[in-house]
Amino acid sequence: MRPDQLTYVPSTAEGLGVAEWIAGHWQQVGAAGHFLARNVDTGEELGFDVDAAVPLASVAKVPLALMVLDRVAAGALDAARPVTINPSAKSVGPTGVSAFRHPTTLAVGDLIHQALTVSDNASADALFELVGVDAVDRWLREQGCAGIRMRHRMQRMYECAAGVAGDDFGLALELAIRDDAAGQHSIETLNPAYANVGSAAALVALLQRVWLDRISAPEATAELRRVMALQVFNQRLSSDLRADTVRVSGKTGTFLHLRHEIGVVTAESGDRVAIAALTRSHRRAGIAHDIDLAIGAAARSAFEALRR
Amino acid sequence: MDLLAHLEAYVAVAEQRSFSRAADVLYVAQPVLSRRIKVLEQHLGGELFDRSRRQITSTELGMLLLPHARDVLGRVEHLRQVARDARATAAHTLGVPPDGDPAALARVIRAGAQHGVPIGVRELAAEEREVGLAAGSLAFALVRVPPETATHHVPLGLASAGFDAGRPVHLESLRPRRGVAGQTPDLLVTAEDGIGFAAERFAKAVARAGLAESRVRRAASTATAVAETLAGHAVLVCAEPFARRHGLAWSPLAEVSLHRGYELASSARLGGEHAAAVRDWLEPLLADALGADDRASAAQAAETPDPRFRLATRG
Repeated sequence: MRPDQLTYVPSTAEGLGVAEWIAGHWQQVGAAGHFLARNVDTGEELGFDVDAAVPLASVAKVPLALMVLDRVAAGALDAARPVTINPSAKSVGPTGVSAFRHPTTLAVGDLIHQALTVSDNASADALFELVGVDAVDRWLREQGCAGIRMRHRMQRMYECAAGVAGDDFGLALELAIRDDAAGQHSIETLNPAYANVGSAAALVALLQRVWLDRISAPEATAELRRVMALQVFNQRLSSDLRADTVRVSGKTGTFLHLRHEIGVVTAESGDRVAIAALTRSHRRAGIAHDIDLAIGAAARSAFEALRR
Repeated sequence: MDLLAHLEAYVAVAEQRSFSRAADVLYVAQPVLSRRIKVLEQHLGGELFDRSRRQITSTELGMLLLPHARDVLGRVEHLRQVARDARATAAHTLGVPPDGDPAALARVIRAGAQHGVPIGVRELAAEEREVGLAAGSLAFALVRVPPETATHHVPLGLASAGFDAGRPVHLESLRPRRGVAGQTPDLLVTAEDGIGFAAERFAKAVARAGLAESRVRRAASTATAVAETLAGHAVLVCAEPFARRHGLAWSPLAEVSLHRGYELASSARLGGEHAAAVRDWLEPLLADALGADDRASAAQAAETPDPRFRLATRG
């Protein structure tokens, strides 16, 4: 979609200019998407196409972690409870327990850490098994997070992709791009009707509530903030922001042509800006360094425009 | 021997016609006074007082010399008075930071003339103002202090050839952008911000904000610094009135701990009362010349303690 056909969120003239620049920059590098940045304290915001439901990929680990932390805070679940993960039955992935080749036992609290800091699918799915996908979805609706739906475990994304493309990553990527253009989905977990989805608006609202302690319990939100600050990936939101005086607490999401990250930028000056950047690309590349940087550039411009 | 002290004793006894009363007037012990009279009598070669009677009277020599002794003491007092007056009306040299507003400094000089205190203004580097004050070559000087405790707070900002940002500038936003071509301008720092604790704070803030240290340059002269800024090759760290006088856009630095703070200090040689009297009318005029926003910053500090101040005290 061309930048002039997007729906921009109401904002100041400066904010609108920044949002248009971001949309134009994304288009230049071959990405389309949804962007929202909001100052956590003042509510000032800028962005575009913020209400569309987008398959979340690993961004879904944030609402999952919050729900598990809520159970822990409520006393229904012990953060020290050990969970054993077997290589034969675990979910696939390149990092954390997903990459382990021998049985391992982790506590619930450390599964959250693995799922958020290195986007470990096996740890996330162990948590899904523990609390139930439906229960996470139900809890989100109870909490008033209407724009976020949880419908499947992480592993389901890879099962669906393999179902149509075997182990051919290039084919799966091509299918995803073609389906996007056609508007019909052969990979079920890319279909907003069946996938774990969220809109930029709903994700930013969730982050804002977490950072203001307006959801779940303060112990749960504090732990989520702590662990999100430890994420090791910094190629997207934080790529052009990180400094001794600026921290980014985020969670990436990557699946085929989807490149997302949500997070909160915190400066030593006290400014806090919550950001959701959800992109899809029509480029047949697994790694697109310039799209990652474009997300970083968007985050920096938005943060500098919204901080005081 | 101290002839003046001895003459004082002589005149006092002659006037009071009593050693004890004279001792009281002069605030000395009576034996000291008696001794002084004796020493003076030896010096002059004859008795000045007749001590044989109950009431002390002057001898003939004592009567003869008394007007001359009074004359000597009167002239000494006059000499001292002249010296005092000269000291009080001598031009007060005032050490100010470079690049002040000439019109505002003119008001300082005119106000001095009105108050009968000639003011000489000298533009000096920060360390020279402190040295001058200690050595006594300056009567008053504006000395740099940390902005969070300063009486006069002068917002420091970035002047450029572009447009006013209309909001405070954060140092982090001056970092080059990844994947975007184009050079990033150097930061020019004048001598006023390039020394002592202010320089140390600035260097630390620059490093923590992720800026390369090589981008910060000391401005050799004000004229070339303004020229480079007008040409768009650099941004100049300065106060707002200075930027406006040179037709530059200006935005304040968000890091309040990097702003300028001043205290008006006076030389120890100046009488406390006199210094306070001068300070009463001098200080508001100087605050104006500096471009201080004292009232605004005091109100702001009272409302919300700025978290950046904590950063500053770490430095």
